[in-house]
Order: sequence, then C-alpha cells, then structure tokens
Amino acid sequence: MPLPPVIRDARREFFTTSAASLGGLALTSMLAEEHLIGSETQPTNANVTAVKPPHFAPRAKRCILIFLAGAPSHVDLYDPKPVLRERHGQQPPQSLTDAVRFAFIKKDSAILMGSPRKFPQRGESAMPWCDLMPQLGSCVDDIALIRSMHTDAFNHHPAQLMMTTGVPRFGRPSLGSWLTYGLGTDSHNLPGYVVLPVGRGSSGGVSNWTSGFLPSSYEGVVFRSEGEPVLNLNNPPGISRKMQELGLGAITTLNQQRYQLLRDPEIASRINSYELAFRMQSAAPQLIDLSSESQETLDQYGVTRSEPKNHNFRGGGPHVYRQFATNCLLARRLVERGTRFVTIMHASWDHHSNLTDEISYNAGMLDQPAAALLHDLKQRGMLDDTLVVCAGEFGRTPLAENGGGAKQNTGRDHHPFGFSLWLAGGGIKGGQIIGATDEIGWAPVVDAVHVNDLHATIMQLFGFDHLRFTHRFRGLDVRLTDQGGNVVDKLLA
Amino acid sequence: MHLQRLTAVVSFSAIMIAAQRPLVAAEPTQDRLPPPAQRKIDFAREVLPLLQKNCYSCHGQDEQSGGLRLDQRKAAFGGSDNGAVILPGKSSQSPLILLVSGFDKNVGLMPPAGEGRPLTRAEIGILRAWIDQGAKWPLTADPQQTARAHWSFQPVRRSPLPQAGSTDWIQNPIDAFVFARLQQAQLTPSPPASKELLIKRLYLDLLGLLPTPRQLQQFLDDTRPGSYLRLVSRVLASPHYGERWGRHWLDLARYADSDGYEKDRPRPHAWRYRHWVIQALNQDIPFDRFSIQQIAGDMLSNATTAEQVASGFHRNTLHNTEGGTDREEDRVKKTVDRTNTLGTIWLGLTVGCAQCHAHKYDPISHREYYSLYGFLNQIEEHDISAPLAIEADQYSNNTARFDQAHSPLVAAVATYEQNELPTAQVTWESKALQTGFSWTPLKLVSSDSKHGAQLKKQSDESILATGKNQVSDIYTVQTASPLNRITAIRLEVLPDKNLPKGGPGRAENGNFVLTTFRVETSRRDTPSQLSVHKFSEARADFAQKEWDVALAINERPQDGWAVSPQIGKRHVAVFRFAQPIEAASSIQLKITLDQAYNQTSAHNIGRFRLSVTDHSGPIQLEGLTGDVIAALKVTAENRKPQHRELLAKYYRSIDPKLASLQRRVEEHAKLAPPSPATKAQSVRERSEPRIARVHLRGNFLTPGDAVPISTPQILPPVAARARKPDRLDLARWLFSPTNPLPARVTANRIWQRFFGRGLVETIDDFGLQGEKPSHPQLLDWLASELHSSNWQLKHIHRLIVTSATYRQSSANRQDLWETDPENRLLARQSRRRVEAEIVRDLALNASGLLDPRIGGASVKPSQPSKHAGLTYANSAKWQTSGGGNRYRRGLYTFFQRTSPFPMLMTFDAPDSTSCTARRSTSNTPLQALTLWNDVVFFECAQQLARRIVEDVPRGFTETPLSARIDHGFQLCLSRSPTTVERAAVATLFRQQRDLCQQNPSSAKTLIGPTPVPSDTAAEELAGWVLVARTLLNLDEFITKE
Repeated sequence: MPLPPVIRDARREFFTTSAASLGGLALTSMLAEEHLIGSETQPTNANVTAVKPPHFAPRAKRCILIFLAGAPSHVDLYDPKPVLRERHGQQPPQSLTDAVRFAFIKKDSAILMGSPRKFPQRGESAMPWCDLMPQLGSCVDDIALIRSMHTDAFNHHPAQLMMTTGVPRFGRPSLGSWLTYGLGTDSHNLPGYVVLPVGRGSSGGVSNWTSGFLPSSYEGVVFRSEGEPVLNLNNPPGISRKMQELGLGAITTLNQQRYQLLRDPEIASRINSYELAFRMQSAAPQLIDLSSESQETLDQYGVTRSEPKNHNFRGGGPHVYRQFATNCLLARRLVERGTRFVTIMHASWDHHSNLTDEISYNAGMLDQPAAALLHDLKQRGMLDDTLVVCAGEFGRTPLAENGGGAKQNTGRDHHPFGFSLWLAGGGIKGGQIIGATDEIGWAPVVDAVHVNDLHATIMQLFGFDHLRFTHRFRGLDVRLTDQGGNVVDKLLA
Repeated sequence: MHLQRLTAVVSFSAIMIAAQRPLVAAEPTQDRLPPPAQRKIDFAREVLPLLQKNCYSCHGQDEQSGGLRLDQRKAAFGGSDNGAVILPGKSSQSPLILLVSGFDKNVGLMPPAGEGRPLTRAEIGILRAWIDQGAKWPLTADPQQTARAHWSFQPVRRSPLPQAGSTDWIQNPIDAFVFARLQQAQLTPSPPASKELLIKRLYLDLLGLLPTPRQLQQFLDDTRPGSYLRLVSRVLASPHYGERWGRHWLDLARYADSDGYEKDRPRPHAWRYRHWVIQALNQDIPFDRFSIQQIAGDMLSNATTAEQVASGFHRNTLHNTEGGTDREEDRVKKTVDRTNTLGTIWLGLTVGCAQCHAHKYDPISHREYYSLYGFLNQIEEHDISAPLAIEADQYSNNTARFDQAHSPLVAAVATYEQNELPTAQVTWESKALQTGFSWTPLKLVSSDSKHGAQLKKQSDESILATGKNQVSDIYTVQTASPLNRITAIRLEVLPDKNLPKGGPGRAENGNFVLTTFRVETSRRDTPSQLSVHKFSEARADFAQKEWDVALAINERPQDGWAVSPQIGKRHVAVFRFAQPIEAASSIQLKITLDQAYNQTSAHNIGRFRLSVTDHSGPIQLEGLTGDVIAALKVTAENRKPQHRELLAKYYRSIDPKLASLQRRVEEHAKLAPPSPATKAQSVRERSEPRIARVHLRGNFLTPGDAVPISTPQILPPVAARARKPDRLDLARWLFSPTNPLPARVTANRIWQRFFGRGLVETIDDFGLQGEKPSHPQLLDWLASELHSSNWQLKHIHRLIVTSATYRQSSANRQDLWETDPENRLLARQSRRRVEAEIVRDLALNASGLLDPRIGGASVKPSQPSKHAGLTYANSAKWQTSGGGNRYRRGLYTFFQRTSPFPMLMTFDAPDSTSCTARRSTSNTPLQALTLWNDVVFFECAQQLARRIVEDVPRGFTETPLSARIDHGFQLCLSRSPTTVERAAVATLFRQQRDLCQQNPSSAKTLIGPTPVPSDTAAEELAGWVLVARTLLNLDEFITKE
C-alpha cells in the first residue's frame, strides 16, 4: 500500500538529510524493512519481522491452524472403533483403568461407550471418514489423518499450551510466534501472526498465542469479529483520514528531529511502526470487507448460511456457523496477503455430556468452511505451500462419563493417551492415515506421534531443523520441541 | 534493551546448519567422520565445556548411564560397561567419537534425542584433535573445581578505587571504576545531559512520573551548588517512589490478581501484598529484612500482620482449580515455582534447570535442587485478616462505641436472672401442673423416603435415617394423633453419633436443609382425601444466617431451615396452625419433610421427632416433659438437686421476661461493627513436615530418594536454629555475610533499572553460562556498599543517580557505535522506552487526569469491550471502575492472567506467570494504534488540549500559539521546543484547526462532552486536541533519555 504523499515526503527528506550524518544506520534498517537491501545490518526493532531464510528449502511457507479447543472426541470424529461399539455398556478391563486417572469419571462404575457414527470410505484413498463431515470427506486425498497422537497434559489449559507452545506450562512462545520469529513475514500492511476466535473463550486464553519470552512483535494479533477488527484500529470519532495523515506526518517529523540529535535507531523503528500502523488502518478493514469475493466463494464457505435453530451448546451461539465460515475465508485472505500464521480458535468441544447433539453441531460448523478452505487454497495453487492443521488439545475417553446427575453417560472425559488430528497442504502427503490406536481407541499401538513430534515435523516443513532452532532463555537453549520430538517422515510428501 | 542480542543468539543461519547436519547416514564409514581440528586443543577451555554441556546429564555426578562417567579423569578413562571410550591418539577408533557422530550401530547417536542437540562437526573435530594429541586431561581440570572457581561464588571483595589520574569528571567511586575502564578502551565519557533532561530522567527512574512545570522551573532556577543533590533528596522522599520500585519488585514476585489457568478466579485480597511492597519500599526497609519477611515473615517470632502479609509473596504462584486437577500436582508445581523464583531473585541462578536432572552448566545436582525445594515444601496457604492501619483504628473505635451500648443490655439479663427470675420460677411452679404447656410425641405408623433412605423408629419415638443419602430426599410420615385437637406441631432435629459431625443433618458438615414442611390430614373412612393445613407461624431455637425456619413454610421450594454452624446439637422448630385441627375421632396425619436443596451434595435430616400440642396460648418450644412433671410433683422441700436443676433449666426456657431481655441482647449484637474487610493471602509452616524426595525426570509421580533439606553445596552452609534447617533459616542464610550472591545480584538488578542493562547482562543467570560482569570491581563495590549500608536500597539509588556516569548524555556517538554499540562500557547513558505501566502513567500525568492516590485495591479502568471474552467461557467479567479509579496508575490495574489488560501487554508487561527479572522492549504497530486510539489515551489528548488552552489563556501573551506550544512541550517532554519543532507544531495546529473549521461537527466530536473554555472556539480546541494527540505519540514522550 503506498504511503500518503505527506509521509513519503517526510521519509525522503529524512533520507536525504540524515543519510550522511547517521552513518547509514537508520537508513539501512529502514531500507531493509522495505526489502531494498539485505538484512545484514545492525538488527533493530525496525526490521524484526523482515523476511529471513530458514535452515533449508521449506515445503510450507504459511500455516493455518484450526484449533478445536476443549478437545473433540476422536472415536466419534476420526477413529472408528467397531469393537468399542460391540462392547458398548460393558465394563472396561480393570488393568486399563487402574493405571490412569480421570477428571470426572468414577472408576468403579465406568462403562465403555461406542460411537453411533458411520465412517464411509471416501476419495481415491478410500479413507474411512465420519458421516458428520461429508464435505471434508471430499478432501481426504489431500489430508493426512494421524490417529496415534498422544500428549503429556491432562487438563485443558496445560494441554492447550502443550499443543500451542510445546510444553504444558506458561511462558513459552507459541508455534506461530516461533515461525514469525524465525521467518519474518511477507505482509507489509498486516500482522504476520493473526488469531481469529469464534465461540466462547478457550481455557488457555491469550497464552495460546503468546510470544512468551520473545518480544511482543511476534505475538498473535487478535482480529475480532465484532467492532473494529484489530484493537484500537479505528481513529476516535471525529478524526478524518486527512487529520490522521497530518498527525502521522508531524510525528514522523518530530521523531526525526530527535533522531538527528540522539541517533538512536529505536527512533527509526518507532517511525516505521507508526507507518505500518497507519497502513494497517486501511488494510485491515479491506481485509474483512468481503465485497470483492464472488457470491460463489461466499456460498462455498457458507458465510451466509443459516444457523441451526438450536445452538444452546458449549460450542454454540447465534452466529457461530457464519462466524466460523467467515474466519476460514479471512484466513485465506490473510495468507494471500502474506500473513505467516493464522490461528482459527473455536471453543468448545469439551463434551462431558450431551455428546451426540453437540458434536453434530460442532462438526456441522467445521465441515463446510474447512472443506471450502482446502478447495479454495488448492484452486489458487496455494495449498502446496500452505500448511493447514486441524487439532484439539487431546482426545476423549472411550468410556462414558459417569460423574453423576441426570447427564450421566451422555459424554466423554478428557483423554491424553490417544487422539487424532489432521494436516493438509504445505508438503504433507495426503490421502493417508498415520498410526492406529488399539481396538477401543485408548492408546496408540502403531506409530505413536507425540505433540513434540508433530511440532518437529511442522518445523521441518517450514525448513527448520527443530533441534537447532533455539532461543537462549534463562541459561537454556530453548526450542519449540522442548525435550523431545522426532520428525514423522511418513507425513512428508 | 534492544533486540540486537535476541536476534544474534538465534542459531539458524542457513549456511552453518547445512554444514552441520547430524551424520545419521545409512552406511557410515570412518572416512566420513568430521576431520580433527588442525590446532593445539586446550582441554580445560575447549573440551571440558563440551563434555559438560552435552554429556553430564547422563554421564556425570548424578547418573552414570551405561556405567560411563565423564566428569572425572579416572572414571572417563575407565570407560563404560563396554570398555574404554577414549583411546588416546586414535580418535577415529575411539567409541566416544563414533557415538557423538552417530556411527555406533548399537547405540546410535549421542546425545540421544531428547537429551540435547547433536554435536556440530566443528565440535567433534575438537574432540578428535584432543584425542589425537594424546587426550591429555590435566589433574587440575575438574568441573567441580572449575565451578568452585567461578567468579560469582567468590566472596565479595571491595577493591581500592582505581587511580584515574586527574579528572574532575568523577563524582563518586562509581565513576572511578567506569572511568578506569573507559581509559583502558581509550574512550572518553559523554558530556552531562542538560538539566531539563536530567530532571526528567530522574523523575522517570525514581518515580515513573513527569516533573510538573513548576518543579522543572524550580530546578532550572536553582543555580546554587548542590542543586542536583537537593533534587535527588526531594525525589527520593516522594511516596511515588514505592509505586515505581514496587512495580519492579512485582515483576519478580509474579504478582497478579487472578489464579491463572482455565478458571482464572479473581484474587480479591492479592492487592494487600502489593500495598505492603509499596509501603515497605517507601519506608526504605533494609533489603535483607524486606526479603526475609517475604520468604519467611510468617515464621518470625510474634509475626506482625505486616510480616504475614509479606509472606503472601509465596501466594502469587498460579493456582489451578480446573475440574479434575490433581491437587498434589498443583502443589508441587507451586513449590517448584517458589524454588525457582527464590533462585532467580536472590541467587541469580537458574536452579530450575536442575528440576529434571543435574544442572548442565552449574554445580547444582538434581538432589541439591530437591534439598532446596524441601525448604519451601512445608508451606501451607491460608488467608488472614489484614486490616490497613486506618481500618484497624476505625474498627477499634467502633468496637469501643458498640461495647458501651451493649454491655448494659448484657448486664440487664444478669440482673434479672439474679433478682427476679427465681421469684418468677416459684410463682410458675405453684400452678405449672394446672396450666403447663406440653408436647405430645407422635407415634409413627409408617414412614417413607423418596430416594430410598432407611427411616428407622428409635425407642424415644424419633426416626433415624440411614442408608442411601441422595440429593433432595423427601420424607413422609403417617401417623394418628393421640389428641383430638391440634394447635401446633413441633419438629425436633436430634444429634446422633452415626451422623456426620454428630448430625442432626446428613450433609458432610452435619447440616441439613428443610425446604418445605407440610401437614395434611385425612379421615379414617376416606384416606385418599387429603386436606393441607396452613401454618400461621414458625419459630425455632436457632437458624443459620439466611436460612430462617419461616422459609420452610413459604411458597418457594429452594430455600428453607438450616442450622450451621450449630452442629451436633438438638434443635427445635414449632409450627402453629392457622386454624386448629379438630376431629371427633382420631386425626390421621401425613407429614412431609421436603429437602429439595438444589446442590450437588445431599442435605437431608438425619434424626428427628414430631410432637403435637392442643394448647391455645402462646406456643413454647419446650413443653412440660415427663421428667419435669415428675419433678413438679415432688414438693419443693423434698426436691433433689437434679430436680431443682431440671426445673430451673426448664423455666429459663419459658420465662417471657428473660426471653425478651435476651432478644434485646441478640438484636443489638447484630449492630456490632463488622470486622475489617481487608484480608491478605499468607502462608504458614505445616505442622507435620513433608519429606522432600527427588522427582525423577522432574515428575512428581516418580519420587526417588528422600533428600535432606539443605542449601547447594557450592555456597556456604546454612545455619539451623533447631535440629533441621527451615524456611526462616534459608531466608537468613541468604543474607549471611559469607553468601556473595544476593548482594551482587541485587546491586546488578538495581543497576539495570538505571542503565537499561546490568553490569552482568544475564540478570537472572550468574552461573557458568551467564555473562561475565563488564565491571567486576564496580559490581563488588556496589555489593559491599549494600552490606556496609545495612542493605539500604535508597543509599544505592542515591549513589548511582548522583554519579557522573548516570548523568551523561544518552546521545549516540559515532565512535561508540563502532567500538561499543551495546554501551557496555558506559561512555554514555542509555535511551530506553519506559515500561507499560509508565506509558499509561505519563499520558495521565501530562494531561492532568492522573488520580495520584497511592496503594489500595486493584482497579479496572476502561478496556476495549469484549476483551474479557477471551477468558474461558467469558468467565472474567470486567466492571469498569468509576470516578478517579479510572485514572489510577498502571500498577493498580487488575491483572487477570488469562485476559490481561491489553494496553499493558502491548507494551511488554510480563504475563506474571513466573518471575521476570528483565522485560523485553518491543516496538510495534499495535503500540502506535494504542497510543493513537485507546480510549484513555484519547481522553488524555482531549484533557491535555484543555490544559494547554486554559493554562495559557488568549491575551496572556502576544504570541499565544508559541506559548501554548511551549507549554505543551513542557508538560509532555519537560523542555522547550526547538525552533524547527515549534514551527512544525504550529503548522500542524493551523492545518488541523482549518480542517476542523471545514467540518464543525467533527470538531464538536473531537473535543468531547466537557464545556469549551469561554474564550476558545470549538475548532481551535479541536485543533489542540489533535496537537496534543501528536505530542503524546512522540517517541521521546515514552522514552527515558
């Protein structure tokens, strides 16, 4: 986006008058930000998000993470278990439940609960795919479904942190922060890392897109569904674009005056930040203005589809279907504009009770827009280097939840020992199922994939050796994959 | 600090990595080993650190995997279970080399995945060269020795001041050290900053506020010698000092107003700790006492409220209340956090690294970590009443006033009991048998429980409930009345040893809730026809607050009668019928006790008895019982003591005058002043000590050996007051004269606040991997000043801010940019954006909106709508505070951990989940948007515009525009503008005002609702609003220069 003339003039003035006296310092950093020269200059805040190369040639250049917070039931959505169904209502073997703990299930009266779902084979790969998500079923040849995930954390918040930051504790940068930190962003007018929330807040809140010990430049920026899309994006009432331009011009001039005196590169960074903020003020509303999208596209995503009458669920709300569809479309528009990482955050899938109705509702929300996103990216030639990940923080028990009360046996409890998620695009080999759980869906028996393994693989796709992509913090070389993690070669195309 | 360092340490240069991929090729051959380095290798300097970093977590002091130990010369050459691993002179055959290169077919690559990163080719080359050169391992090269020799573990040494030659630049000893170092580097210090800049710098550093134009002028006008020293004294005495430095401390203390994790419940009392911190710093409590009170204030003898509040330091940890959380796991996490926080704040050591295995770099073993953990493993959490001084005074005044009114009422009861009651009793006794009130127990015919409880009749006609105890049970009792007329019915609930807490209820706490009490009758001939009998009155001997017995006979099913906390006692309720029940033959009664208390746990009655009466007068709770009647029948002179006692006790329960006097006492007691509301989170030592065990791999579910409670061996030993050392001993040990770390770490942290970086740059790591101090002698000199000044923090502040080093200009210099870009040698001051809270404070301060009240509870200023919706299920509601609380300083903003105040986070406030010794300082577009558009910042712009216009009225000067611009600069930047700046702002003002004139409605909106000063046009004020908004957005405005 071109800067208004007043700013351009101010910049030009700055370059011509300052270049000689600055030792080229600020100038180089500002030019670097505009990609006019390489970034081998004294690093400053001015170019912290400039594009940087990874370790080796990447397969994926951007990522869209669809996070199903609260944890969807793998045995109802991804991992059909006929044996579980046959033994519906029976007690599980004691050896199974002895060694574990539950959040709410009472062990002595625990019973197995089969899933009523059907899993017809779809696509050329004949992948069994849940009948609740027929449209995504048309994408299975691009999807790698992992049925052998496991994680370390048992409660929502730690487990969400595990999935988003690699450890079940606070304070670490999220995956999106690592990637924007390592790679910078191609986006000049929009943040490199954007979060699109829908539904009620997740357990992890902002800690799911935190930059942790990295600077806040790498934190996910929430685009909101109501009001202004970015916090404080709009000028206060009464301030016209022209007034804003004049104000920015004066800020630039006065900051430059100070720079002449003190020569602190941070002042140049400040000037750049204000210019990017100014550009965002136009770019962000343009981003969310969908009028340039064809009716066909809008329909494909379901942006104007009707909402289910009954939405009084954990994951529900009066506008959730449309909002989720809009977010999927916005995700495509963001990556198109150079944003590195988009998280679509939906809560909640925490189906301790009323599982059948609620998972049907949630899957209905997910199915059409997610399928449209994959088709759309593919059609635009972007799926090859855009990684799409659809994941929750853990799975749900093959046992019915029996905590007591009227809602007995209508839901499932937390289950970190085995669960499923899928990936597509960005160098992923589609049309395959990786790993398997045992006959009731309790734990992986083939090709177990730990969350750190998933992260190692994502790093690999983005051109990083996960062992060497580190940041020194409190005396340790910290990495996303923390203490472990192996690349899952089978996932790679 | 800038981001130079951050970026520099990321190890992902493409070229480097391509060359250093681990060698996990399919067919390894010896030829493909990385070549040995072509130079002489020094074992201690090059090899030992490699082994230490990559191998010792499994082959060191704590663990010798495969029988291999590499931290001792003899053991290393002794090899593993499979034989020697180092073959001197033959690196290509040495198993050590094959292992770290990934060429060992059986074992695979070392270190294995999850234990560290593979060695680089260059590193393997070093190991090879060392082996080829004979694998010389000098006896002196011992890791423990190396660690013991590490600089930070040495005693603090106060060096003589360097002789810097003749310079009048030096103001105090700090400068002597700095100057000597500069001389070495052939650098000269920078000139002092201007007075304007200096006063602003001092205010920002010590108070986080701007000098007022008057304070500025006063300082500029004071040209007598020592004006700066006088300024320093004035500023240090300001009570805003405690706010500024308190916030620094709260970063370390990971202070927040909510629990964190999913539920993230608010902590209504957390602020009381913050209040203490502010007060303690303002009083300049010596830092050792300040620290000891926080670590173990609760354990000091006769601990004061303040000391107990201080130990609430430990309560700032996260707290998980999510459903299904393992409480022990949460407690362990907190204890780990407490241990690590202690390590960071007072030792400057990353002890947390030893949580899972021996510290890779520092001499702290896995066992030693849990020994240290043991000190904090005995903590129990509890909340205490912690009235502020003003509250305590008020309370004692109010209590005295209340007592004055209350004691006569109590005395009246005693007087009556002594003087009149006995006579009244005698009168009653004389006619009691004729007119006495009596209750007739109902004999049970059948009883039923809706949810399957067993209702068993007891010998005293009561009914005991056993068996199932489900939520909301309903008991029904069928019986025939022995009386033909019933005026009232009585329900006694009775204690029983089989009931929880002795009953009378079956809830865990012995309570019950009777939600509805109903009596129906049927005639014997038509039993199916029931008629309900209404009550006109219900009374009980006791009712729980808000659970009155009258609630059991109203229309609402959810409320009712309960008796907590008077558990384990008999209680009586009487119900008078609106119309007496009368019948010719016997009355068939159906009595229903509904217990529909709508909670998760059952609140049913455990044992009860029903009685009726036909008495027409006032209903008494207690009637003449059989034994009372028997006692009455004995003539007065023949009564035995137990008879007299029984009659006296009974009469006391029915004497109307006594009852009314007692009621007066009870009624008045309700007016007692409430105890002070302010509480605090605190801790205390558990009475039964927990045994500390090593947690293998940091997992609390796999406990290892028990370890004694102790401090790390590398440091001086802890002295115990009793047989075993405890938390108070630990706190005192930190400040023993032989412990070198706390003084160094503290001095360094203080230095960082004034210069943007510490003398030791790794502010939280004084271990072997940390940076070495840039000025070791200066650091030790400051540390020794802490010791010799009895830990007076303000003394250190004064030394620093009066040094010439501090007073230098922060302008960058061409020569320094090349030789010392990070300003480690201090040839100038550092320029640095102020912290998040201060950004807010400055805008409020410059505009005049700031509410300067100090201390107190947290406030909720305006934040963008919907922001709180990011919390779990929108659980954190944000009720914006009213009045001045909207404009309090940033440190008072309620900190909700899962949806922190967005403005603060945008400017890098810590997330307060763990101890933060240094904040990052980013510079982002979101910051620009915040300063431009956030509600409070725009309000500040509006208010600042008004202030500029009102302070410099038209006609006050011939050049009002210039004068107003100058005033704006002084308010925001504590200086006058340059000619160029003045001209630029004048142009901006005219252009903006013109735009406003073209669009009057936008001008109206811009200036907001408050009235325009009389001599000013709306467009003009609007123009100033836009100018003010620009001033508040300048880099200089939010920067300490």
